[in-house]
Formats: sequence, structure tokens, C-alpha cells
Amino acid sequence: MSAAPAVPHLGRRLSRWMALLSMLGLGAVSLVVFLVFDSTLSARQKEMLDQKQQSLMHVLRDDSTAHRDKSLDHLLSDFLAGHGDYAIRVVDNQGHVLFDSIPADWNSHHTMLRSFAVGITAPQYHQARAATATLVMDLRPDEALLRGLGWTLFAAMVAGSLLLALAGGLLVQRSLQPIESLVSQISLLSARDFARRLDGSGLPQELQPIVTQFNALLDRLADAYRQLEAFNADVAHELNTPLATLISSTEVVLRKPRSVDELRDVLESNLEDLRRIAGMVGDMLFLSRADQGVGAREIGVVSLAAVAQDVVEFYEAVALDADLRLEVVGDAQVQADAPLLRRALSNLLSNATRYALAGSAIRIDIRTRWQHEHAHAVISVTNTGPDIAPEHLRHLFDRFYRADASRHNSERNHGLGLAIVKAIAKMHGGSVFAQSQGGVTTFGLILPVAAVA
Amino acid sequence: MRLLLIEDEAKLGEYLRKGLAEESYTVDVATNGIDGLHLAMELDYDLVVLDGMLPGIDGFAVLAALRQSKSTPVLMLTARADVQDRVRGLQSGADDYLIKPFAFSELVARIQVLLRRAQAHPASPEPTVLRQADLELDLIRRKAVRAGVRLDLTAKEFNLLALLLRRQGEVLSRTELASQVWDMNFDSETNVVEVAVRRLRMKVDQPFATPLIHTVRGMGYVLESRAQP
Repeated sequence: MSAAPAVPHLGRRLSRWMALLSMLGLGAVSLVVFLVFDSTLSARQKEMLDQKQQSLMHVLRDDSTAHRDKSLDHLLSDFLAGHGDYAIRVVDNQGHVLFDSIPADWNSHHTMLRSFAVGITAPQYHQARAATATLVMDLRPDEALLRGLGWTLFAAMVAGSLLLALAGGLLVQRSLQPIESLVSQISLLSARDFARRLDGSGLPQELQPIVTQFNALLDRLADAYRQLEAFNADVAHELNTPLATLISSTEVVLRKPRSVDELRDVLESNLEDLRRIAGMVGDMLFLSRADQGVGAREIGVVSLAAVAQDVVEFYEAVALDADLRLEVVGDAQVQADAPLLRRALSNLLSNATRYALAGSAIRIDIRTRWQHEHAHAVISVTNTGPDIAPEHLRHLFDRFYRADASRHNSERNHGLGLAIVKAIAKMHGGSVFAQSQGGVTTFGLILPVAAVA
Repeated sequence: MRLLLIEDEAKLGEYLRKGLAEESYTVDVATNGIDGLHLAMELDYDLVVLDGMLPGIDGFAVLAALRQSKSTPVLMLTARADVQDRVRGLQSGADDYLIKPFAFSELVARIQVLLRRAQAHPASPEPTVLRQADLELDLIRRKAVRAGVRLDLTAKEFNLLALLLRRQGEVLSRTELASQVWDMNFDSETNVVEVAVRRLRMKVDQPFATPLIHTVRGMGYVLESRAQP
């Protein structure tokens, strides 16, 4: 025998349950029928015995001429004629058996009897004699009937459950057909074909939500997959550029004997590229950890103005160089990781200083905004400079997205800065925004304000 | 000073050994946790540089076993920046940790700090005036003078110059400068540090004959006198 599969088979299980249930149901019905019939039969036997007793007493007491001529034997034999399942014994008070028609093979298990006192006035007796009559009823025919009924019911039950189980099994199989069709539909899906979706038409109502949810899941997966593919391509591209430089410069310098200065020059240049690669990998690790839901660590109450002031001091030299003024307006307290916020704000300022017009001001605005009973701190960095087209605006926080293709190979900026800003906002349960029109560009973070205890 | 380096990546181990030897440390290298632990227990090292991921027994186990009987300073190298990893390292008794990939100069700086701390010299009073060639920085009065000329520095420029002077002869990376002077502990995409150093040079070096602040390409900046003999 092969071992039964550990995984339950829905169809088989349903069929088995249906067989079991129909057997139980039919069994219960049969049992009730049997018991009711049995008790009815017993009552009826008693009733019959009562009637017989009455008529026997009547016969014995009857002193009409018709009877007077007959002996007790004759009389009782007449009485019993045609009633093979009854027998009588009469015993007088002295213990003389006056009449006995009970066959030897009748035993007390299959009979029902009734004894009663009678006065015998049969002709051979001069006067009425006190005696005890015993009327015996043979129950075997009734028992045979009952047994027959029992077997019939049992057979009907077995056959009925088999039939029901079989029909049930077929029905279950037919009902599960849609699942099989779903399975074959799903087996046709592949990572190559994002567009294919499950067809829910013709499926029962219960399966519709599964199909809808599954299709929604496919949508999400397709999005994630496309994003990942694009991301991989971007990463490969970004890493390829410095790697190609590293490989070719190293090869070229090794082809011929070089002076120490030349070698040193190449090594230094290589170190710059390697640092760039390490920086990029570090940023990507940061983003991937943020994606995995790693939250901010050193959470404390942070004054956004203080954070902004720190970052402004960091950018002091750059601002002086580019003839820009840096201003911080307003303040708000948030529960946040200050070093992460400094990093986010630094990336925003880096962007702003790159595009701000010389002689203009970059303003860091901090204000609190109420929305649906919840306070949010909004910290925004505004610079005056060329507008960013709306089609670029909503992609700017995507990884490796660059609105300006000419910047693509710029030395430092590898296109992850704003993605990191977004990740930091998300780590704090916040969001980012960007707007640009009329020569004014604003990037910012929205952070939930900690409930004041 | 005798160091033990426990690192299973042969190439990295060899380069680190070479670099540290050139910094005039005596360096033993173990390529797995068992040998490393054995050496660390048998000999007296001034410091152990321990990789977190090792074949056999990993760095954390080595550290835990070592801490049973020795208090040699341990600098952990970890490939993972996860906070759990760092907490685990520090809890098992590491004195400091460095995340791979790291700059060699940073490794040297961390080793120096740990060794200084371990020696627990009665801290020589921090000098209040820093000098190099004709440059003089009065930390108390926050005054910078070169060749008798008062330099007009912003607060951050003063701090930057003080750091370069205090660690003169040592190459300081941009990341380290950002961290020490501005408390910005991340690799930023910006050229903020370059711009700041350039502006500082305009004030400290440009008007004078010999430059003191030098760029070491790919590594950072160093302040030293490279006067022609």
C-alpha cells in the first residue's frame, strides 16, 4: 500500500465527507423507522393478546348449547383453529393439566404469554371448576418480519450512501472544475509576459475575489519587477562608467614601464573612482535597508530649525562661493533621527545650490500644518532658478532619475540624493514633495509631528 | 606596537598588513578565527583588528572567547552597517568598529585613537596655541595669524584649520572633515568640503609664499610644511 498523501485533497475530502454524512443521515432515518416499527409491533402484539384473552374467556364462560355439547379439547381446538401462532394450556387448581397445545419447541424468548383464572364449565364437568389458563403467542413471525425490515433498511442505507457518495463526488468534481481552469490559467503566466491576467468570467462568485486580488497582485508585482529591472540597468550603467575607467587606465599604465609620478597619478585617479563606486554602493545599501522597512534609529525630539541651521553652516562655503544667501524661517519639533534629517536636508540644499541663480536667496521654511486633526511639520527648501518641467517633477525622487541628461556623467552626483531624501522621509512616516513654477523651485519633506505628552 | 590582524580575505589582509607595517606597527596576520584566537590568547598584543565574518568561528565568537580572559583593545571590521550588528559587536566587547569598505587612513586613525586610549597616558594638556611654520592658531582667543598677518576666518574655517593643524602631517579624508568639523556623518554627494578647503586656502595660503594645505588626490587634505631644503 502506498502511503496516503499528507496534503489533503479537497475533492476527495468533500466526497468522503458527503459519503459519511449520507451514511449517517440514512442510518439515523433507518434506525428511527426500525425503532418506531418495533415499538408499534410490540403494542400491537399486546393488543392482539388482549383481544384473544377476551375472546377465550368469553368462549370458556359461554354456556350456550352450541358449546355445551363439546368437550373442552374440542372447544379449545376449535378456538385455536386457524391461529397457528397461538397456543393454550389449562391447569386446574389441583394441578391437573386439562388442556395443553403448546408445542415443545416454543421457548420463552420468542413468545408472549398471559395467565389468568377461569372457571371451566365444559360438559364433562358437573360444575364449574376453577382453573388457570395460559394463553401463549408465538412471536417468531413478527420477529422475522422485524428482522426482514432491519436488513432491508440496512441495505437501503448502504446502497443509498454509496449512490449519494458517488453522485456527490461527481458534483464536487464538477464544482471544482473552475479551480482547475484557474490553475491552468495561472500555469500560463510567466515573468516574460506582464500583460497577461486571469480571466474571471464564468467562474463562480466565491472565486471572483480571488481572481481580482490575484490580478491586483500581478499588477503590483509587474510594477515592482519593472522598477527593479530599470534599477538594475541603472546600477549597472552607473557602475560601468567608473569600472571602465579603472580597467582601461590600469591596463594602459601597465603596458609600458612608467615613471613613479605617472603610476602615482593613475593610482590617485583610480582611488577617486573607487571612492565613487563605494559611495554609490553605500547609498544603494542605505536605500535597500530603507526599502526593507528599517526605520530611523536615534529617535528623539528634534528642532527642525536647529537641524536646518547645522546644514546651513555646512553649506556656508558653497553659498559664499556661489553668491547665495541661506535663510531659515520658522521652526517645529518632530520626533526624528537628527543625523538622518541632516542628511536629507543636505541633499536638498545640494540640489538647490546647484540650480539657484547667483545673487538669490535659498530659503528653508519650517511650518506646522494641520490636516485631519494631525499635525505635520513641513520643511521646504526654495530656490530661484530655472523651472523643472512637470513631467520630470514627479520622477525626481526616483532612483537614478535625472531631469537633465547633460548632467548624466557629473562627477559626484550619482542620482541617488533625492531618492535618499524620500527614503529618509519614509523612515519617519513622512513624505516628500516638489513643485516648480514661475522660476521658483521648492523641494520638501512632510514629517508627522510627535504627539505632545 | 604589536598588532594582530584576523582577516580571512588574503588580499585585503596582506594589503592591510603592509600598510600597517609601513605605519611602523608590528603586524601578525591570522586568516581564521581559531588561529586568531589562539594567537591573541598566547601573545600580548597592543590591539586586535578583527573581521566580523570568518570561517570556522566568526569574529563575534572570537571576541567573546577573548574577552573571557583578556582586555586587549579590539577594532571590529564589519561588512554590514546594520545597527544590530554594530550593537552586537560592541556588546560582545569590541572597542570600536569600522564598516567595510573603509579608507585605510581611517583605519589608521581609529587604531591610533584606541591605542592612545589604552595607554591611558595622563593626558598631556591640550596645547592652546597650534603652530606650523609661520602659521599660528590661538585656540582660546580664536585668532589665526600667519607671518604676522591676522587671518579673517569664519568660525567653521577656524575649526577646519585647527583640525588640520592638530593632525598635521596626516591625510584627512573629506568624510572625516565633514564629520569632525560640521558633524555631518555621511558621504554627501556635494563638494562642500572641497569648496570649504579651497576658501580656507585662499586665506591661509594664497597671500603667502609657501602653501601649507595640500590636496592628496583621491584621499583628502593634509597640512604640512613642504619647504624646499
